[in-house]
Amino acid sequence: MIKIGDKTINPTKIICVGTNYMDHIEETKLPVPKEPVLFPKTLNCLIGDADPIIYPKLLFNNRRLKRVDYEVELAFIIKDRCKDVPKDETYKHIMGYSVFNDVTARKMQTKDILSQLPWFRSKSLDTFGPIGPRIASIDEIQDPHNLKIELKVNGEVKQSSNTKHLLFKIPDLMEYITSLFTMEPGDIVATGTPSGIGPVLPGDLIEATIEKIGTLTNKVVLEGD
Amino acid sequence: MKIGDTEIFPTKIICLGRNYVEHAKEMNSQIPKEPVFFCKTINCLIKNGDPIIYPRILFENEELNQVDHEVELALIIKKKCKNIKAVDFGEYILGYTIFLDITARKLQLKDRGINLPWYRSKNFDTFGPIGPKIVEDIEYPHDLKIELKLNGEVKQSSNTKLMIFKIQEIIEYLSKYITLEPGDIVATGTPSGVGPIHSGDLIEATIDKIGTLRNKVILEEE
Repeated sequence: MIKIGDKTINPTKIICVGTNYMDHIEETKLPVPKEPVLFPKTLNCLIGDADPIIYPKLLFNNRRLKRVDYEVELAFIIKDRCKDVPKDETYKHIMGYSVFNDVTARKMQTKDILSQLPWFRSKSLDTFGPIGPRIASIDEIQDPHNLKIELKVNGEVKQSSNTKHLLFKIPDLMEYITSLFTMEPGDIVATGTPSGIGPVLPGDLIEATIEKIGTLTNKVVLEGD
Repeated sequence: MKIGDTEIFPTKIICLGRNYVEHAKEMNSQIPKEPVFFCKTINCLIKNGDPIIYPRILFENEELNQVDHEVELALIIKKKCKNIKAVDFGEYILGYTIFLDITARKLQLKDRGINLPWYRSKNFDTFGPIGPKIVEDIEYPHDLKIELKLNGEVKQSSNTKLMIFKIQEIIEYLSKYITLEPGDIVATGTPSGVGPIHSGDLIEATIDKIGTLRNKVILEEE
């Protein structure tokens, strides 16, 4: 259960889409996917607007693992239980939109990927999924594929793009995801990040903004003893 | 979710990969130096007696048409915990049960081969049978016979003493990364002998002192 603005949702899962902006695909040198690349984050990641992102000591104190990145993403929240949703019925099953930061332990992820291990631990550390500052209802956003999306670290613009550059659009994602899994009310789908990803350190302030939704602000702090 | 007569409200399912040497070998995987873990989502969970639904998108595609059984000892978390020391693990475990980590094998190998996440192959609806009950009073969980029969024929047969990482190490390791919540499920990995299941098959997964989890496989309706 998490309160986002004035709405409370009770998600059972968070599904993230990897490599879904052409500019980010070029930056990471990953192949252009033929179908959406999905991975999960667990609910222990979720924090709200203004909550701190905790930089884990097990990363901070290990030179080979010490890198944590921000990734701003447009997220949509599922409205009702659904399976096998056709593209043209997508928006009936969406409650609204929010800003999501898919915080990632990048060196750990790269190490795991190269060993063909799961993309899990690097993505699902506690507090690695800020969401907010509110849920913009489906009626507020007529076209979710024409929104400016931006992320600043300590006031400096690091990511700046537009949701029109999404490779798989929201109806493509909804149709694909529900062909695999049953979605439940409150479930969160994060649609992927544009280019410009990079590291943060304790003390940094992250401001992630999507037009018509607002700004999600989180400070990075080092895990306490 | 009700397992036997215990009701739990899991927020996540964490699974260990490659935690029996013989299974790592049969998958041509390296023996891990630290626990390998991934998650399954709650849409997987079904109970003893519920059908495992074989998805048509796998059945109708020759390149993807393989779904495997994997029997595992699972533990259920009793209270919220983070940074647990191995010696204290007992305080945080509600009990033990049987878990089937059903896996779309060809899809998993395809994804793994091109460095994609291990997610969709593990998380189809019904790909996580659990039960038949949660047993609280197992004093020593590392000497339990673990077995899986397919249509009456033994396919997996091992003992939990052969786990590479023992439960106390797993809890210490996991809780360094993530906060575990009451009801969360940790599946401790499968022994060797994994293999395919088909529509119409009956799976019986048995662990000493816990019981037998039975699930039939049916093809998804059109």
